[in-house]
Amino acid sequence: MPLRPFLYSAIFLALTSSSTRAETINYDEHIKPIFRQHCLKCHGDDKQKADLNLQNYGAALKGGSGGETLVAGRSSRSILFQSITDPDEDLRMPPNKPPIPEDQIEMIQKWIDSGLRESSESLSMLKERDTSFKPTATSGNNRPETPAMPENWPELKQPETENPLPVLAMDTSAWAPLVAVADQEQVKLINTESGELLGRLPFPEGVPNVIRFSRDGSVLMVAGGRPVESGKVVLYDVTSGERLTAVGDEVDAVLAADLSPNQKLIALGGSGKVVKVYSTVDGTLQYKLEKHTDWITSLAFSPDGKTLASADRAGGLHLWNAESGGITLSLLEHKQSIRAIDWRPDSKILASVAEDGKAIWWDVSDGFPAYNKSDIHTPKRPKGTYGLIPNGVLAARFSPEGYLATTGRDMTVQIWNPDGKLEKKIPVEGGLPLSTAMAFDQSCVITGTVSGEVQFERDVISKQ
Amino acid sequence: MKRLSLKSGQLIKALAAVAILVSSHSARAEETPGFRRDIMPILFRAGCNTGTCHGAAKGKDGFMLSLFGYDPGGDYYRIVNEMPGRRLNPAVPEQSLLLKKATGEVPHTGGELFTRDSEFYSEIRDWIAAGAPDDESDIPEPVGLELSPDRFVFEDKTTEGQLKVTALYDDGSKRDVTSIARFHSNNTSVIEIDEDGRISPSGTGDSHVFARFNRFTIGAEVIVLPPAENFTWSNPAADNYIDEIVFDRLEKLRINPSELCDDETFLRRITLDLAARTPSPDEYHAFIADPSPEKRKAKIEELLGNDSFADLWTAIWSEQLRIVGGNYAPVGTYIKAADTYQEWIREQFRKGRPLNEFVADMVVASGSNIQNGPVNLYTMLSHEPKLDPKGFAADFSQVFLGIQIQCAECHNHPFDRWTMDDYYGFVSFFTGVTRKPGVESREQRIYYDTKAAPAKHLLDMRPVPAKTLGAVEPVSTKGDPRRELAKWLTSGENEHFSRNLANRIWAQLLGKGIVAPVDDMRVSNPPVNGPLLDALSEHLVASGFDLRSLVRDICNSRVYQLSSQPNATNKQDTRQFSRAYMRRLRPEIIMDSVVAITGQQRNFSGFPSGIKAIEHYPRTGGATSGPHFGDTFFETFGRSSRATVSSTELKLEPTLSQALHMSVGNTVQPRLSANGRLKKIVEKSETPIESLEELFILTLSRKPTPYEIEGLVELIGEEVKNVDVYEDIFWSLLNSTEFSFNQ
Repeated sequence: MPLRPFLYSAIFLALTSSSTRAETINYDEHIKPIFRQHCLKCHGDDKQKADLNLQNYGAALKGGSGGETLVAGRSSRSILFQSITDPDEDLRMPPNKPPIPEDQIEMIQKWIDSGLRESSESLSMLKERDTSFKPTATSGNNRPETPAMPENWPELKQPETENPLPVLAMDTSAWAPLVAVADQEQVKLINTESGELLGRLPFPEGVPNVIRFSRDGSVLMVAGGRPVESGKVVLYDVTSGERLTAVGDEVDAVLAADLSPNQKLIALGGSGKVVKVYSTVDGTLQYKLEKHTDWITSLAFSPDGKTLASADRAGGLHLWNAESGGITLSLLEHKQSIRAIDWRPDSKILASVAEDGKAIWWDVSDGFPAYNKSDIHTPKRPKGTYGLIPNGVLAARFSPEGYLATTGRDMTVQIWNPDGKLEKKIPVEGGLPLSTAMAFDQSCVITGTVSGEVQFERDVISKQ
Repeated sequence: MKRLSLKSGQLIKALAAVAILVSSHSARAEETPGFRRDIMPILFRAGCNTGTCHGAAKGKDGFMLSLFGYDPGGDYYRIVNEMPGRRLNPAVPEQSLLLKKATGEVPHTGGELFTRDSEFYSEIRDWIAAGAPDDESDIPEPVGLELSPDRFVFEDKTTEGQLKVTALYDDGSKRDVTSIARFHSNNTSVIEIDEDGRISPSGTGDSHVFARFNRFTIGAEVIVLPPAENFTWSNPAADNYIDEIVFDRLEKLRINPSELCDDETFLRRITLDLAARTPSPDEYHAFIADPSPEKRKAKIEELLGNDSFADLWTAIWSEQLRIVGGNYAPVGTYIKAADTYQEWIREQFRKGRPLNEFVADMVVASGSNIQNGPVNLYTMLSHEPKLDPKGFAADFSQVFLGIQIQCAECHNHPFDRWTMDDYYGFVSFFTGVTRKPGVESREQRIYYDTKAAPAKHLLDMRPVPAKTLGAVEPVSTKGDPRRELAKWLTSGENEHFSRNLANRIWAQLLGKGIVAPVDDMRVSNPPVNGPLLDALSEHLVASGFDLRSLVRDICNSRVYQLSSQPNATNKQDTRQFSRAYMRRLRPEIIMDSVVAITGQQRNFSGFPSGIKAIEHYPRTGGATSGPHFGDTFFETFGRSSRATVSSTELKLEPTLSQALHMSVGNTVQPRLSANGRLKKIVEKSETPIESLEELFILTLSRKPTPYEIEGLVELIGEEVKNVDVYEDIFWSLLNSTEFSFNQ
């Protein structure tokens, strides 16, 4: 794809600091002197190792024998930036020399992330991007006449367990004060306003790993099973508690699943590394997605029904045509297991969170990480420890109004507004927060912990 | 279900399921199992964390554990927190994947490791039921193991034994860990050991069995005796402490040593071993004619005083210190530097420098590589443009301590005592070793940058300051830490150092180390005769690390002077030194012997004519990394290529190309006229028998046997004065196995 400056300067920058100075960093004034000092001897007009010439702007953008070395807006995907920051001394540029000083590296990073300007007069190469949230038919105004609530469910006893099951999964209805929570061989429904237990659904298949309400709130999907034994996805009628159908005959517990907005398709996946999409009508397999190289960890149909997103344990994230199963985009940024993906209700943005500590809001129109947040759930470093500490983001779920709730290994739940700004950060007690969801009216955020506790936090979103 | 009154704006906790059913299991009166104290040992014993299973570097089937449990914190994270809900099910512990895999209830590559009614099962189950707690910092640290008994002697193959393993903890407590330890035998054809520590003999001989628990390995010696009938201890005279210790061991094993070797054999053996060449006919005649009962002792003294002895030991050290002269500027292995280094070593051996001081000089050296010989430890041991402290520390330890610590770069050494802390602390001695260009081209100056950061621990990235192996506290950080390293390393109290030197010296003279290979000393590779190695090491220290003193002790022992001719009881022995083991000569010694016998020089390119092979070291016009033999003859005869510090670089196995080279190559063929020596022998001799005798003495340092005389005289027939015939015989003697072996 040829890179061409666009007419307008970027509306936003994927930058932590967006001072005016950072925005005007350009090749002629700031970057070329750095290249001259460290790179041009081998990658200049005299010598072009790996066919790379950094001595003029055009040639630098062209890249070398390995292809483009600079990607506007994405230092993390730019080979040039990777090679000057490689932790492996043998691979790092410049070779056999101390690394480029940190302030210069930072300058290069800002230059890439702000859109590779040539001079102070140039425009950023970042594309104009409108990521604002617009309520759509599937979010704001399509309220069912009577949102489904459990009515006269058959009595079911609380499971006899040694300890509470970790709250591996939960979901809220988009239309009613209702949260469904995983329990041992059961799903329980709780009123988000009163905290009252409304009823229990049997899931004799084992442990629920995924729970999803249909977009209209009438159907509940529960997926899970017994590790390395069996896995299934079951649909229930929310009003009656009746079991509607079950698909999948897996040899391991289902780890990821979703129900399409029109309720015709169920996608499921797990340790088999294959995504299978079944018809809910007759239970037949519609298509398989075999691109993933590791366990499937999360699946999500876009609210407009057009796209299926799938994520894996190695950080792989792909978008597919939900009808045909053809791949549309690969969203490569995560380095570790993706824990959750979720669509903003307007289908414009897909959020992904992973064990690498990142949360990314992807603009699915072109697969660009519109907001890329690192280390959002990194725990405070215990005294006397060094190196990496687990800093994964564990769960993420959008509210009907486009707010995102995330939980992570720092034992907090965080609320992000539709523009990717942190709204609130709330500590969670009782162990790792494994699952989260927001009530239909955004009146509270609900968090489920490893010790089996379900916590409600109210007034988390400031009213405009 | 607990009902909660909810107040807006408050954090409300809805306890999802507070009622915890009291099952029959919770009625156990015992305390809750702890992860590190109870669960880790089960994973170890059941084999979960071995290198072929989940202990592999990337784990197995998506689940990784640290190899033999060197990283309990990481293992806890992976089992409990990495994928909550996947491996453990606290609600119904029996449904936990961890247990279902281990019992084989679900498909498991490792199969069934224990059953549902086992102790292991219920411990893990109870631990999960208790919420899978981590007991970090609550539990005493194991500090070692005890074995009882620590020695087994089996009279026959029908008896059995049982090993009991006790772990010792830092709070002084002890615990019987026999049921959670792992066991193995060093030689199953002598002794077998099962998973519960029961041992049963399978053949006669001696070996060791080992128990491992936590990060410790401990061994017990096992002797399975041959039948007592028909064995009478020959009770040979012991000439010194070496004989006493070796014979004591042989008597216990019911092995009689061979006879003392004859004077001819002794003379050839000692001359090859101390002077690196065969004895001359003059030396032969003088020695054989000498009536003194002390003549062997006198010979040893004579040879120890000769420069050749120093040259031989220079060659041995040059090889293990990887001296190669090159011309590639960035690496500092310039030919001038190599010369300076080689010459410095030779000087130390000629003047009898104590070995500990010799080593210490190198360890602390700074300055120019072409001015200051010993500094080339830092340019030669690792032929890289930049000294890699990790690789260097590993090589350093292998050469000077005989210990391979590199395993501990990624995990605690699985079969030795060395931990990752030991490893990174040791690496930190070298992180400050730095080079800068000198005045002359290709000159480099080595100095220590005291501001260099110490090495970082792989697991937690914690900096580990310089620390000697096995020490708890780092060395004082003032200045160049190599001074502290040298002090510790070369002290008489550092057994690792003196035992390594003693073992290498012994191996040089007896053909095999008491620990073999000599550079793989570890708990699980124990000495075949511990008291012998201890005694040699103590004598070395007591002599002030005097090489000649220990060599003198060894060569004067009856053990060194035994014949290679076996008897009925020691035919099978290949490790207890009950007879002389045949040894292929080093390539340099073969060459120097051919030159000495034929009187015809061999020149080496780049060296002045007239130098001996034993004085030669490899040189190249380019870079010095990679294998360098220095000469195709050396390559053919298995000289160390100096590509690594490993003792296995020297290959003394005979090969077909060696035989071909000796028979038709350019070493023996062009030298057969032996500078007229053969002609002289034939002219001087009155009978063919006399000629044959002189020819045998010249090449093999012995007289021909009557059988050999009979055959050869017949072959000579009428041609008694034809030198060509004697050349043929000479050729075949130089091609005999006897010639290229020391026996």
